[in-house]
Amino acid sequence: MRNALTIAGVELRLFLRDRSNLFFVFVFPLLLVLMIGLQFGEGATTGRVAVSGGDSALATGIVRELETDDVRVSRPAWDDALELLARGRLDVAVRVDDAAATAHDDGGPVRLEMVRGSAANAQVVEQDVRSAVDVLRARRGQERALEAYGVVADRVDDALSQAARATSVPVLEVRYVDELSKEFEGLGQFDLGASGQLLLFVFLACLTGSATLIQARRLGVVARVLAGPVSAGQLVAGEMVGRWAIGVFQGGYIMLASSVLFGVGWGSLWLSLLVLVIFSLVAAGTAILLGTLLGTEGAASGAGVGLGLVLAALGGCMVPLEIFPDTMRAISRITPHAWAYEAFADIQRRDGDFLDVLPQLGVLAAMALALAALGGWALRRSLARAM
Amino acid sequence: MTDDVLVVDSLVRRFGDLTAVDGVSFRIAPGETYGLLGPNGAGKTTTISMVAGLIAADEGTVTVAGQPMTPRTTGPKRHLGLVPQELAIYPDLTGRENLALFGRLQGLRGAALRGRVEEVLSLIGLADRAKDRSKEYSGGMKRRLNIGIGLLNRPTLLILDEPTVGVDPQSRHAILESVEALSGEGMAVLYTTHYMEEAERLCDRIGIIDSGRLQAEGTRDELVRLIGGVDTIRLGGTGDLAGAADELRRIPGVERVETERRSAVLTVKDAPALVAQVVGTAAAHGVTLADVEISRPDLESVFLHLTGKGLRD
Repeated sequence: MRNALTIAGVELRLFLRDRSNLFFVFVFPLLLVLMIGLQFGEGATTGRVAVSGGDSALATGIVRELETDDVRVSRPAWDDALELLARGRLDVAVRVDDAAATAHDDGGPVRLEMVRGSAANAQVVEQDVRSAVDVLRARRGQERALEAYGVVADRVDDALSQAARATSVPVLEVRYVDELSKEFEGLGQFDLGASGQLLLFVFLACLTGSATLIQARRLGVVARVLAGPVSAGQLVAGEMVGRWAIGVFQGGYIMLASSVLFGVGWGSLWLSLLVLVIFSLVAAGTAILLGTLLGTEGAASGAGVGLGLVLAALGGCMVPLEIFPDTMRAISRITPHAWAYEAFADIQRRDGDFLDVLPQLGVLAAMALALAALGGWALRRSLARAM
Repeated sequence: MTDDVLVVDSLVRRFGDLTAVDGVSFRIAPGETYGLLGPNGAGKTTTISMVAGLIAADEGTVTVAGQPMTPRTTGPKRHLGLVPQELAIYPDLTGRENLALFGRLQGLRGAALRGRVEEVLSLIGLADRAKDRSKEYSGGMKRRLNIGIGLLNRPTLLILDEPTVGVDPQSRHAILESVEALSGEGMAVLYTTHYMEEAERLCDRIGIIDSGRLQAEGTRDELVRLIGGVDTIRLGGTGDLAGAADELRRIPGVERVETERRSAVLTVKDAPALVAQVVGTAAAHGVTLADVEISRPDLESVFLHLTGKGLRD
């Protein structure tokens, strides 16, 4: 066991020592998590609105109502707002001119100029603005009505608050009825990107590491190790554990960093780690197999990246599995990524427990065992070629 | 039971239709340096791979320090130090890390490991470059590190597979000196090479291998005698060479004299011992010598005689 751990330790050390890995291991995965989160996560939950015009009760009220709904509001001049809109930095721009402000104060009809951007969620944000204005108009109408019945102005607020407390407000519960919306219910802004990138990069890190196995064989290091008191089984175990450790390290780093930097929720930590551990074993077995079947480091690196990307794309790491057509979804099940993706989806989105992800873990474990056995067998055979 | 460190008995190894090693047998005693001399593709490395337990023999046995060696046994490998022909080191590890890694795999731990690593670093002259990655070393330094790894476990049997291939003359000299020193300390050495000079300088006994078969074995002199090797003295000059030939034939030890117009070639048993008498006799017959050339049969001649081809073919 000591010999296997010694060999595994060298593999991990060589992986971390390779400077070209620093960017791809530590920076690139987080960049992708960030990009995917910004593209698919943020717009769906918040919006960016500019409210232009001088200070007025109407403008202040709109800003207040929008901010209550977590919309980001800025107060640029109208021309600046239009430019920001054109550059895609705003979803909606609203101009509250003096006439509108006065009409609002007088309780008359208010005309506001509103321009919507081209972002996918701009329509939703426009509706947010309309709702905010409707709330303000209703409030102003109530105030005017009370004043018309002789309520003095400084008691209007109390009267409305009292009326609100006495009224049973209808509760509006929104339920997602389509399956797709249900799938992503409760998902944080960066959660989806983080789990997908974790699976992609764990596999890539292991597969590109297969080049070191080829290098060791080519340099005669494998032969030298076996000329010492080290059995072939210990060497195979060491190579396997080394690649597995690389996968767990890469995945653990993404989990930790995405959690700290982007607040990604990984659900049950021990269960997520279990998925990572078993998925890394699948990746390690594949890496050993690749490292024994190919003859040069260049071929292994190229094939590793290619295979890693194709499996990740098929397995839902680039485009969510939930929006795959049925046929592609069925095909995706040949990849370990799809099973691990589903396991993470259960853990992250639906608070899945061990029994919920047991089927996925079972399939991944079977894949890991099969690939580890196949990789080990192929490595033993390739050792003869190395002599 | 034998005191020999290595006993190789009737080894056979086939790769498909090719028989790479065909009935090779030899023994190495403690402190003895045994050379396997043969051209590329002769079966040296395959033999070594079986001796080191890297590949299994189809037939025959290998015994190291009294224990049978196979790919599945690890016990006898503790007595073995292998220096492969390739630079079997991790280029991205430092010299010290490379030594520590292989030392750990040899079972060394803690203070014993650290101490031995430092000893070997000094021995191979890399103590001041121990912290540098081995890919930054010169070719000769890498070779020294390659050899140093083979010495970590203080092996009873050190196997050196063409350790001087591609090495500059200065590093080659250092390597040969190291091998001589190790042998002097009692280590048995199995040394493969296709450089005749190295085999002549280092090896107590030499096995000549070609086409997978051990063609002959013995000390240098035994091998030369085996082919009936004789020395020649070639005299070049002017005068009555033909007349001197009769007198030259009468010198004890001279077996044959062939003359041409300006030269005579004498076949003799021991050229260095007879050359003075030969020159004197020729001069006494009025021969003015322009040059005298002595040729002694070497391993190249032996190899040529045994295999019909040169060592570097």
